[in-house]
Amino acid sequence: MTRQGLSRVSTQNHRKRTSRILCVWLPDFSIQRLHSEQPETKPVPIVLFDESGSQARIVTASAEARRHGIRQGMSLAEAQALRESALFLPHDIHADTESLRALAEICYRYSPLVGFERSNDAHCLMLDITGCAHLHGDESGLARHLVVDLAECGYFAHVAVASTIGAAWAIARFGHGAGKDRRLRSLPVEALRIPDRLIPRLHEFDLRTIGQLSALPRASLPSRFGTILIERLDQLYGRCDELLTPAPRPEPVIAEWTTGEAICHRNAIGYVCTDLLTEVLETLRSRNRSLLCLEVSLVSETAEPIILQIRLTRPNDSLPHLLKLLELKLETQPVPEWLHTIRLEASETAVQQTRQRDLFTRQESLVDAGAVQRLTDRLAARLGSDSVVRSQRLPEAVPEQAVRYVPLSEAMPDTPSPDDCMAATSRPLVLLTKPEPVRVTASEPGSPPEHFWWNRQSYSVAYSTRVERIASAWWQDDGSIHRDYYRVETVTGARFWLFRDRRNNWFLHGVFE
Amino acid sequence: MVKSVVPLAEQEPAELRTASIKELQSNLRKLECSLRFDVLKAEGISTGVAALDSILPDQRLRCGTLSEWIAAETGSGAESLAVRVASQAQRRGTLIVLDRERRFYAPAFESMGVKLETTIFIRPESRADELWAAEQSLRCSGVGAVLFRIDKLKAQEFRRLQLAAEQGTAVGLLLRSMFAGKQTGWADVRLLVSSRPSSARSFRRRLSVRCAYAKGALSDRTVELEICDQTGALQSVDSESP
Repeated sequence: MTRQGLSRVSTQNHRKRTSRILCVWLPDFSIQRLHSEQPETKPVPIVLFDESGSQARIVTASAEARRHGIRQGMSLAEAQALRESALFLPHDIHADTESLRALAEICYRYSPLVGFERSNDAHCLMLDITGCAHLHGDESGLARHLVVDLAECGYFAHVAVASTIGAAWAIARFGHGAGKDRRLRSLPVEALRIPDRLIPRLHEFDLRTIGQLSALPRASLPSRFGTILIERLDQLYGRCDELLTPAPRPEPVIAEWTTGEAICHRNAIGYVCTDLLTEVLETLRSRNRSLLCLEVSLVSETAEPIILQIRLTRPNDSLPHLLKLLELKLETQPVPEWLHTIRLEASETAVQQTRQRDLFTRQESLVDAGAVQRLTDRLAARLGSDSVVRSQRLPEAVPEQAVRYVPLSEAMPDTPSPDDCMAATSRPLVLLTKPEPVRVTASEPGSPPEHFWWNRQSYSVAYSTRVERIASAWWQDDGSIHRDYYRVETVTGARFWLFRDRRNNWFLHGVFE
Repeated sequence: MVKSVVPLAEQEPAELRTASIKELQSNLRKLECSLRFDVLKAEGISTGVAALDSILPDQRLRCGTLSEWIAAETGSGAESLAVRVASQAQRRGTLIVLDRERRFYAPAFESMGVKLETTIFIRPESRADELWAAEQSLRCSGVGAVLFRIDKLKAQEFRRLQLAAEQGTAVGLLLRSMFAGKQTGWADVRLLVSSRPSSARSFRRRLSVRCAYAKGALSDRTVELEICDQTGALQSVDSESP
């Protein structure tokens, strides 16, 4: 191997080491799907057969059916002879694919890249979780949350995380523990995702583990077992690239109404929107999803199209609530006349989370938690999402920079530790948006104020605290902020927050209202 | 046989008469409460200071009502006091702060016991939006307290706010300046807060709170309070004056 070749391989290895792949193996997926869709079939042994060929053959069977000797590839007549009371159903590949796609949609909550892996008839989902694990604490936390989510949908899964698709698949399907080289070498050759026909041939040579196979000279393998074996070995150890093909996302949910006779009456627009919204919500419910953001396009003959956006703080699928929000939005926006097209699109959706009620209702739960969410949705619809905010403390000394206001509809950025933020006991309740210049008299330059004039009123200072210097660092604002703050109390007991800048100018920055 | 009729006033001693009046007052209030409020709202919240509670009707701020906090002058501390009460109400639900002028400084709220995670700041652009937002927030059943400042209120607007508060479970804390003190209102309680000079080096801010009006109760009672500058703790200075 040339030096150039070695260099390329090591770079790939380094890159592979940084990526993390999670494999979800769903054992007996077709049976699990049936149990999930028809829970009444759980106590009955199930056998699925394929009747596409000349003779109906068994595709898969539940654990109980297998105990009675029913095996994959057996003829249907033979299986019926073994266990007549079992439930024999034709295998529905299309339904399996749809269900796997629905589960992939759940997995998109954990990773931006989700793909299928169907080697050796195993139903597996592959997630590229590189850089995602910290959102759930660590990789174990992410895997645990995912398993719980799948269990809520009625599926049991084996999960494994490794650096390559091959290793993650091998461990989820055949192994335990971390995907270290030592562990991988002890796995059986079946864990290589090679065609079934190759397995007996490898066994003929008494090659039963990946370790035994890896010990053989590479050059001798393709001639005996084909190139696929070398390719799978390289993919397992990350010596060659393997792309994760993303699972297709569902079609966008859109409802559109177009007419030849344009409408302009508000009630007519309301009726059309009600119908369209009902259609959108029904489609979403069929996908087990709720609305997070709705875009309404109003296309007129006489004016430019208008696009209204209704963003919700939490997923919701209540028609009356959404109609109310739409009505509030339309109130704030001049609707163009003679509309010929109205289009509603669910631009963002999420899985609806349901919470079980407590058996013994506590006092706090008398308050309707959803009421506040509906209120904030209404407020955001009329006032705009930028007007409904929550605050976040920041570890900054300059008062204007020590807080940030984030719209409620947006995800809260990482909150700094309270210890990092400055104690705010000495901060006024009312902070002026811009410090206002005040006229101050002091006994000598550099001393606290004795008298000041603000808002056409004069205030005599009775007491003032010791100076508190607040300055921005040289890399912030060019170090231009350099203030000496005083908390002052007037002779009547009123309190203010004044500062003197570098040029000896005085400003009022806050009032202890 | 002629029976002489002795007037009731002569039959009963003064103490007994006072007790009877108090009982009648209490019965009237119960009757009024049963008409206006349901079980959830009848509880009310404490201000966190027994002395301040003592000058309020029923020794608490009732949920589903409005209370006016009038500042005698700029910087008198009325709003700080109202925020501390809001932090008590926050135990029952979300705190909504209406801030059209974008003047409130959120870190100061935290130092007064308010949990910023369950506080929502609403920043309407116009006065009409501010009134609408206040009405919606007061009417909402999951809200613990609504803190807002509107100086000029027409009687109809005030009445609408009061009716909205009665429909919800929140404690409405309406902050106003002395200018509003001359107007009549629909609030259940009107508190006038003025600052008192604190003694040098005591690290305590002194406030005087006068209950100028209380629906269905005796008013015009004053209490003096102190706020520790270092810990932010609120406590009474001395006993209330009648």
